[in-house]
Amino acid sequence: MRNKFIEAFEAGQIATKNVPAFRAGDTLRVAVKIVEGDKQRIQNFEGICIARRGEGTGETFMVRKIGANSVGVERIFPIYSDSIDEIVVLRRGQVRRAKLFYLRDRRGKAAKIRELRK
Amino acid sequence: MEYIVEKIGMSRTIAVPSIPVTLLRVIEAKVCEIGENGSAIVSYSNGKKTNRAVAGQQKKYNLSAEFNRFATMDVANAEVGDLDIAPLKEAKILKASFNTKGRGFSGVIKRHNFQGGPGGHGSRFHRAPGSIGNCEWPGRVQPGKKMPGHYGNEKVTVKNEVVSFDVQSGVLAVKGSIPGANGAFGRVRVVK
Repeated sequence: MRNKFIEAFEAGQIATKNVPAFRAGDTLRVAVKIVEGDKQRIQNFEGICIARRGEGTGETFMVRKIGANSVGVERIFPIYSDSIDEIVVLRRGQVRRAKLFYLRDRRGKAAKIRELRK
Repeated sequence: MEYIVEKIGMSRTIAVPSIPVTLLRVIEAKVCEIGENGSAIVSYSNGKKTNRAVAGQQKKYNLSAEFNRFATMDVANAEVGDLDIAPLKEAKILKASFNTKGRGFSGVIKRHNFQGGPGGHGSRFHRAPGSIGNCEWPGRVQPGKKMPGHYGNEKVTVKNEVVSFDVQSGVLAVKGSIPGANGAFGRVRVVK
């Protein structure tokens, strides 16, 4: 259990944030704000969420995608950071783990995640 | 202006770049008696410790039973009563004084950041302080030589910027870290 004052301090900052519910296995599109000099643009990063960790303002999630030349690319984002413009859940995945690090050892079809059917 | 605060713990902001913050809770205090140059006797509550001396002071200043600690510090108040926290709302920079965590009797590596020796290869010099001086001349150890001894549990003051202050809950967020354990009591002084 965390201290109630720390929780209140963090809740006050998170209150304005609109983050969809997602978990490991979901396919996400993360819109990241990038500042170059005095210009600002938005870059999308699309991939499978393979882990969420931490709590409060320090909570982060990991997104893995297969980039050019079949090179795996992973990025870690703070969920509530101001540099994240938007998180969109594109697809819900059917997984039995909270951390999907086994995907790093899989290639091609073996690295696929079934879609969650309700 | 000084205030008694309790260290709550650390957190961070979601701004870019994120700021590490230490949360301090301003303890409710009563000004009992105002002296010269803005200094005053202030009473606050910490634990349940009481004795007849404390009870006598409480009777003298008309305090309820939970105000069992007394301190002398600078206040903004002109009158006896609740401690005035208005200066904290405009504060930008604070100095926080806390007792550091006690580390007991520590060696020179922990206490003075000595390097120590290699761990293996037949080295017989690991964490010892090594030579502590010369030979027959001067025939004594230089005063102030860094040696093992008691480390920690001493008052340390650090300067921090104020990030936010919530008047209702009395929670003060300052940038960076502050000495001491969570739950420890200390003082902050408004610098600017």
